[in-house]
Amino acid sequence: MKELSLIAVLLVLMVVTGTLALFLKDLLASIILFSAFSFFAVLIYLALGAPDVAFTEAVVGVVSTTFFIAALRRLKRGCSR
Amino acid sequence: MNRKFGTIILDTAFRYLVPFILVFGMYVLMHGEYSPGGGFQAGALFGIAVVLGRLIQGEEAMLNISGNTAIILAGIGTFIYGFIGVLTMLFNGNFLEYGAFPLNMAEADRHALGILGIEIGVTICVMATIIAIFDALTRREEW
Amino acid sequence: MTRLLTFLAIGLMSLMLFITTSGLPMLFDPNSPAATHVSPRYIEKSREETGSPNFVTAVLADYRGYDTLGETTVIFTAGIAAVLLLRAARKHSDCLPGGDEE
Repeated sequence: MKELSLIAVLLVLMVVTGTLALFLKDLLASIILFSAFSFFAVLIYLALGAPDVAFTEAVVGVVSTTFFIAALRRLKRGCSR
Repeated sequence: MNRKFGTIILDTAFRYLVPFILVFGMYVLMHGEYSPGGGFQAGALFGIAVVLGRLIQGEEAMLNISGNTAIILAGIGTFIYGFIGVLTMLFNGNFLEYGAFPLNMAEADRHALGILGIEIGVTICVMATIIAIFDALTRREEW
Repeated sequence: MTRLLTFLAIGLMSLMLFITTSGLPMLFDPNSPAATHVSPRYIEKSREETGSPNFVTAVLADYRGYDTLGETTVIFTAGIAAVLLLRAARKHSDCLPGGDEE
């Protein structure tokens, strides 16, 4: 029962972070919120009992944040509207 | 992102980090049968070590793999995986049946050897793909 | 008007998904079909057949090794597709109206 309440709290935080990342104007802030979303996914995978998947998601979250920032520098940090 | 970052703090600090990342990546690959780990995590860790050196020291880094070499390495990694599968067929087994190797070990040890071989192939492929995409994103183009 | 229709479609889709997932078995249930038909054989026999105590790696690389070959091919193809798109977009950048200044 304690694991279910932990998963429920993490899922609500994940939905809030993901929705907030869509409605922001600054693209760099959206990238940082996406990295936080990936971190919540790592915690959920650990609470569900899968350490291999959590390890992979942690490493892939770092790599994908690096690629997003490298792609953003070619656009000169524009706005989304 | 192609020029050197330059400051002496970053340049000194990352020299202490990269050997530990490489050793930890090799540990995760070799102990994939005993602890959580395996091929994909080790490949991503190796890719992160090379990309970190490339970010701080520019294109003449000490531990650098160029873009064209990385694409060839990715193909070699996938080829190692398929080659082990075909190799078991040459010894009168099915595709990817590790019990068909003619070594004088127990049955379970031949399976463990086959698993280690395909994890090495997956690691090389994932590391080379990460380096190739990063190099294509931050290349300085030739006029 | 289109925003109202969009939110209505999203709400309808979420309602259908909630009704469907309430029919799945409960989390961590030991009597679900996935834990009584398939998993006991992997858990019991993996130590003596493959020689590794970690049965996640044993399932991924020995019992389902062909699926891992398909996944490695997908990673390789995605990497090559990304490199092809990124390298070709810069060679013809003098034809586009904006162009790159870096």
